[in-house]
Amino acid sequence: MSVGESLVVGLFLVVLVFSVLAILYGMIMLLAAVLRPKASKKAVENNKDSAVGATSMDMDLVQTSFGEVKLKDVDERTAAMIMAIISDESQIPLSELRFKSIKAVE
Amino acid sequence: MFLDAISNIFMNSGFAALTWQHCVMLLVACILIYLAIVKKFEPLLLLPIAFGLLLANLPLAGLMSGPQEGSTDPGGLLYYLYQGVKLGIYPSLIFLGIGTMTDFGPLIARPSSLFMGAGAQFGIGAAFIIATALGFTPHEAGSIGIIGGADGPTAIYLTTRLAPDLLPAIAIAAYSYMALIPLIQPPIMRLLTTKKEREIKMEQLREVSKLEKIVFPIAVTIFCVLLLPSVAPLIGMLMLGNLFKESGVVERLSDTAQNALINIVTIFLGVTVGATANAERFLQLETLMIIGLGLLAFMFSTVGGLIIGKVMCWLSGGKINPLIGSAGVSAVPMAARVSQVEGQKANPSNYLLMHAMGPNVAGVIGSAVAAGVLLALFG
Repeated sequence: MSVGESLVVGLFLVVLVFSVLAILYGMIMLLAAVLRPKASKKAVENNKDSAVGATSMDMDLVQTSFGEVKLKDVDERTAAMIMAIISDESQIPLSELRFKSIKAVE
Repeated sequence: MFLDAISNIFMNSGFAALTWQHCVMLLVACILIYLAIVKKFEPLLLLPIAFGLLLANLPLAGLMSGPQEGSTDPGGLLYYLYQGVKLGIYPSLIFLGIGTMTDFGPLIARPSSLFMGAGAQFGIGAAFIIATALGFTPHEAGSIGIIGGADGPTAIYLTTRLAPDLLPAIAIAAYSYMALIPLIQPPIMRLLTTKKEREIKMEQLREVSKLEKIVFPIAVTIFCVLLLPSVAPLIGMLMLGNLFKESGVVERLSDTAQNALINIVTIFLGVTVGATANAERFLQLETLMIIGLGLLAFMFSTVGGLIIGKVMCWLSGGKINPLIGSAGVSAVPMAARVSQVEGQKANPSNYLLMHAMGPNVAGVIGSAVAAGVLLALFG
């Protein structure tokens, strides 16, 4: 196979992979539109409302990859360590844990 | 008489049949064992691969010898275990286990991650072109290129079909580079992104319903297998495993697939792949070229993922951290962890892990699709 032909094959490969994954993207969007329950949308809105309320209660609001955590008298570094330890000890991935708030106890 | 007996024993032993090539291979095996045990480079696979390599290079053991016609020798143990590799059984079963351990939630929550997974397959195309220019046949070039997908089972599956002679070099290169991700990727990530981009904090992902997670593997299987039938064993098993996990009704099957089954298959796969690396086949200039090309493929894939990450950062108005693009090179979850570490170095309050898991699992699908395309072209 000449270099020119291999260039065409290489480009074709990349374009095809992109195309297939682009179709999958469309499919997931479609599935989300059809399957995503309206109830969960409402729940998200409710969470946002409660989060706004929390900030007015003199608490820090930390946005993490897995949701928002209210911190009271706890710095972000300590909170991250606590979450990691709980995940490790409980053998539950962080993605499946939901932390609502972390506060220091005297 | 005793001296004759001792002499006979020695002359019929493996010691007398040892060549310098065997000694080099035994040394390579010992180095790999060292890397697996002391440096912990993908020990789950590297250790059985290294020991298989050691076994195959002990002369006269005949562990990889097939049954001889007219002989009572039934053939070596590893010859029979190797049939699982040759027939594509082990890589598919490993994908079943991976499926039970994979959470596609981050990908479903942000489907645009798929484009980063696609971008990170760029190295496959680039390595294919370079390998062809260096004189490899298209079949061999395709097998070498797939190292850039950073997906061991996919690389093994494709190579057994396109260029089985290159299997040991490709398998060892693929797994070694996966283990070296924390060393290979960060310099490229820092080179291609600005500090401001690396500091970007991403918005939380939406919650994904159970129904979405159950429908996803079914829909992906139907679409991908209809489009690329040759990739059915990989995608089919990956999605079956994921359905076991997400359905929640077959906990025992899910548990077996992600623990006992994948462990047993990993032993068989590792030992037999390592055992294909005999001195005659492995000690060639070609092997060094494959290892070099594999590294290039890997680096190009990282670059591809990062470039798409930067494009998406720009399109989203700076809401997407381009560092997660490099996680598109499969290697779950190591590549996502590297994105997390680099993100936190730039901004200690940055938590990119879950965001990087999207492109990471998209990369698994992407490399399987790339393998399917190569099989359709050259299989």
